[in-house]
Amino acid sequence: MRHNPSTHRTVTSGERDANQPQVRDQAALSRPKPANRKKFGEAGQRQLVLVVLVVAAVVTLFPFLLVAMNAVKSPAEYAARGPLGLPDGLYLDGIANFWERVDFGLKLANSTVIAGSVAVLAVAVSVLTAYALGIGRIRGRLWIVAIFLLANLMPQEALVYPLYYLAKQVGLYDTQLAVIIIFTAIQSAFGTYLLTSVLATFPREIIEAAKIDGASRWQVLWRVVVPISWPTLSVLLVFFFIWTWNEFFIPMIMLVSNDTQTVPVALGVLQGQRLMDATAQSASALLGILPAVVFFLIFQRTLTRGIAVGAIK
Amino acid sequence: MFKPGRIGVALVTSATLLTACGSEDAGGDDELVLWHYESPDSAMGIAWNEAIEEFERTHEGVTVRFEEKGFEQIQKNAQMVLNSDEAPDIMEYNKGNATAGLLSKQGLLTDMSAEASERGWDDMLSPSLQTTCKYDERGVMGGEKWVGVPNYAEYAMVYYNKDLFARHGVAVPTTLDQLTSAMDTFVDKGVTPLAVGGKEYPAQQLFYQLVLSKADSGWINDFHRYTGDVDFHDEAWTYGAETFADWVDRGYLSKDATGIDAEGMGLSFMAGDYPMMISGSWWYGRLKNEIKAFEWDSFLFPSDFTLGSSGNLWVVPENSPNKELAYDFIDITMKKANQDLLGNSGGVPVAADTEAISDEKNRTLIDNYQTLVERDGLAYYPDWPVPGYYDVLVSATQKLINGTASPEEVLDELAAPYEENLANVGS
Repeated sequence: MRHNPSTHRTVTSGERDANQPQVRDQAALSRPKPANRKKFGEAGQRQLVLVVLVVAAVVTLFPFLLVAMNAVKSPAEYAARGPLGLPDGLYLDGIANFWERVDFGLKLANSTVIAGSVAVLAVAVSVLTAYALGIGRIRGRLWIVAIFLLANLMPQEALVYPLYYLAKQVGLYDTQLAVIIIFTAIQSAFGTYLLTSVLATFPREIIEAAKIDGASRWQVLWRVVVPISWPTLSVLLVFFFIWTWNEFFIPMIMLVSNDTQTVPVALGVLQGQRLMDATAQSASALLGILPAVVFFLIFQRTLTRGIAVGAIK
Repeated sequence: MFKPGRIGVALVTSATLLTACGSEDAGGDDELVLWHYESPDSAMGIAWNEAIEEFERTHEGVTVRFEEKGFEQIQKNAQMVLNSDEAPDIMEYNKGNATAGLLSKQGLLTDMSAEASERGWDDMLSPSLQTTCKYDERGVMGGEKWVGVPNYAEYAMVYYNKDLFARHGVAVPTTLDQLTSAMDTFVDKGVTPLAVGGKEYPAQQLFYQLVLSKADSGWINDFHRYTGDVDFHDEAWTYGAETFADWVDRGYLSKDATGIDAEGMGLSFMAGDYPMMISGSWWYGRLKNEIKAFEWDSFLFPSDFTLGSSGNLWVVPENSPNKELAYDFIDITMKKANQDLLGNSGGVPVAADTEAISDEKNRTLIDNYQTLVERDGLAYYPDWPVPGYYDVLVSATQKLINGTASPEEVLDELAAPYEENLANVGS
């Protein structure tokens, strides 16, 4: 929806203008009763916070609402009244046509497989490397972490040609495995950097105690470090999933055939050379973000549970 | 209690399983792999779909595996894909030096010269269309080697809102003077006459159209095929830049146009906000389907030359194992039946038969195209000669609209990258 950033801005500032006079009116109403001033002052503050939060929520949700609204508009309605006009009724053909046109179910499965495997593998790799760097404290760990961070800062455009040649040499060009390997490396570079600093502050007493009890290195990692750092790991897992889900450039380069492609690449089909079909694009954008939102909502609960468990311990 | 182990193992196993069955190899000689990036309800989409069916009817035992691609994917990927085993047998690709020309220079596209004369494609395509099909060894268009074959064409025209013209008592102009006086009438009545988008291609196309009104075919060849010196302060360029700035001053186009993209321009015209829009035939089908509130029509910009060219090309990758089948497919899209279907669906067929076009609007589109072809008046697009010129032109025309640079300065800005590129052509 990058074609109308200016409309976002005007409308949201309009919302703010519409809301603020109300606040002032209410503040004025509370003034004549000095006895309750303190109470009313608190109430007024609360209301102000509420209004600010509502405005912020509207601002955040506005693009999403706009996409949802245009997704259920017919192209003729869009042409006649533009992106901000209200739809006459639900027009679901755009969504249905897009689903069929790109075989969206298959793309969903592809994206889930790729993002899911990358999330799990990258977290696993990050845990192993960070265990060595953060708890094992091997020599030169600062430099190693710095190099990982550098690798993470490399623009993907610079990586594409080497990756393309490597993938072609080993026969992985146009396979999802290639994308999984690439993103496991990219994400675990960040994961290693983050987890290393988290594990560096890990209480040594617990590890010492486990060692005294006769735990091997592997057991310390698997029975002690991983369960205690699970909240961090699960946050990483969710982030890796969503980041990989949203990746466009490398999947577009590596996944040539339509039946291996991911959701963001499939959305690109609608952007033509000179024309774009705005309603179909909204429909596709809606379909494209929904899975990530659903995934986030599901894991939101396990996340908080994970953090709570860690806190009680 | 959490069990990271089980979840992890389950996910990885399912991933590996799915990955294993996900990839497939390119087909053998009983399959034609075809890629294009036209939407299924566009004229090309409709006609090519029919061509696929006819191909399967006439080639028993051969199936067509069609994959719809995104424009961006092909633009960014083509070179890498064509250099691998995953190359399709036939695909749509952009014409021009920086695209088809470049791939041809790298030896990734098949030379179809023999097929073109044998199957008579060369007779069906007018000289200015052939220019974009044939490239020389530097990858510059207008060469000897047939690299691609287009089955449709495109050109720029003036779309106008008949209702607004009638309401303000304006007649359809046939000369440039009539056009400017028509626009004066609109301005006097407080209506901005031209819908223009300065953020994307529309503004530069209008600018180039104004330049073209003082250009001749030698000038166009010099600019696009590097056959002679290009002076950015010659009569044509100066006239184009000064007139464009003048049109902004007179209010023919809005100063706000700098922030409007092509989609915004089209929407405002479709909403009936502007009487005229100067843009390409790629809008035609969409306007026809989506404008319900008023009557509209189109006329050619009053100038010998106008923007336009062949459509995108069918190219056959050098790595294609089924070249003969690919040629057969191209041949089907060039046949009368498919050309007529393309025309009837709102496209511009390269070898049009106006008699066979039933819809009146579509016939106007094709009639105007025939007029252009007869005077060989297709003059391509201004961003073609230099890679990355598109953005230079966007910025230059935005400056003209804002008035932050004089026409002279803007022309200097255009000259620099052109001359820089000229030194590198063919190297």
